[in-house]
Amino acid sequence: MPSADEAGDRPVLGEAEVKTMEVNFTLNGEKATVDVPPYTTLTDMLRDEMNIQSVKKGCEHGECGACTLLVNGLPVASCIILAPQVEGKHITTLEGLEHKAMMIDLRQAYIENGAIQCGFCTPGMLISSYALLRDNQNPSPDEVKLAIEGNICRCTGFTKIIEAVLDAAERIAVE
Amino acid sequence: MRPIPKFQYHSPESVSEALSLLVELENASPVIGGSDLMIAMRNGVIAPSHVVDLNEINELNYIKEEAGVIKIGATATHTQVASNLIVAQVHSLVDSVSRIGSPQIRNRGTITGNICNASPAADSAPPLLVHGAEVEIKSLDGSRVIPIADLFTGPKMNCLETGELLTEIRIPVPPAGAASSYKRIGRRKAFTLSVVSSAAYIQMDDETCTDAKVAFGSVAITPIRVPEAENLLKGSKLDKETIKAASKAVYEAVKPITDVRGTAEYRKDMCPVLMRRAIDQCLERLR
Repeated sequence: MPSADEAGDRPVLGEAEVKTMEVNFTLNGEKATVDVPPYTTLTDMLRDEMNIQSVKKGCEHGECGACTLLVNGLPVASCIILAPQVEGKHITTLEGLEHKAMMIDLRQAYIENGAIQCGFCTPGMLISSYALLRDNQNPSPDEVKLAIEGNICRCTGFTKIIEAVLDAAERIAVE
Repeated sequence: MRPIPKFQYHSPESVSEALSLLVELENASPVIGGSDLMIAMRNGVIAPSHVVDLNEINELNYIKEEAGVIKIGATATHTQVASNLIVAQVHSLVDSVSRIGSPQIRNRGTITGNICNASPAADSAPPLLVHGAEVEIKSLDGSRVIPIADLFTGPKMNCLETGELLTEIRIPVPPAGAASSYKRIGRRKAFTLSVVSSAAYIQMDDETCTDAKVAFGSVAITPIRVPEAENLLKGSKLDKETIKAASKAVYEAVKPITDVRGTAEYRKDMCPVLMRRAIDQCLERLR
């Protein structure tokens, strides 16, 4: 595979030529301002500048879902979003949902159904599960599968995660 | 992991501002969802000096119907398109974009990006081909409207010149008695590139097929239609013999290659199968 420098016949910008940019956004309900180079991904900005550790670096190609978070309420892969693209947006990570009743039920259901093994996919899985249950409190197994199709788990074989989300939906219905 | 090459970022708020930037800046790439560009940069395939983000251009985010034409603005996401009531009448497009990538990708990615990336496997291409879609392309010199088929010039190649932007996708409102369907085969169901795919568009008047279009993905250097098969289907009762003849025409017309996703033989064999499944679903939708 060619390196970035070999890829095009035109010159690649040197570090000195690119200025940092100020990015203003809301992170988990609180206003935030960060100065980063424009080629920083949202994942890197949150991990390196804001100490947000639930957003994991997995494939960095938008495929594994470990970096999933909510931008204006919608689940997205933060590794294919540039930091300046979230100017003025609302970012929600697992840290911001910790105390939500729905997330507490989800977390407990994940634990009790054996839906967590190594744990690396778990934050992204929980975000996708949360986005589903927020919009659909009575999902079918197929709807759960569709909601987590962008999140890869290499431990559980997915069955336990699907069971956990369905279990969480029941817990929420009872409350 | 390979770092993303360094570039400057621009976020224009109007189409004219974006077009000016694309002309003034050397080696600039437009971006919307980033699901192709970010990965191409990460893989060292492309190293733009400037990235021009189109997401903040409000005048490009719409889905509307005007004078019998459904118009989809460049920045409408797959999620917006898949859930839109106007687009709901373009069945095959909904089939396709509602399963592109994953929710995370559909919330960012766009049909514009999918077709400009011009992969022969682009899921939104066969539905747009069978619906006779057109695209509007703007530059500082004005605008032009071309049939979707003319956008694709080769694998991962489109006809856009430097300084041009694809701003709108236009789909004629399907007439009464028409239905379409999109079927694909992937290595798995979720988040996968299609190994081979087919869209069919069928219009029926009572028992007779008055219009038929079939298109295929991943079987040629671009997504293609097969007029030989369409001509056989048109005017027929879609009886067994006609379907068989159309299947043969498709088999002979497609020229797939063998790659990591599937063999040429398998793709060739599956084209008529997918076409028949798509036609069957069209008829079901018309019932």
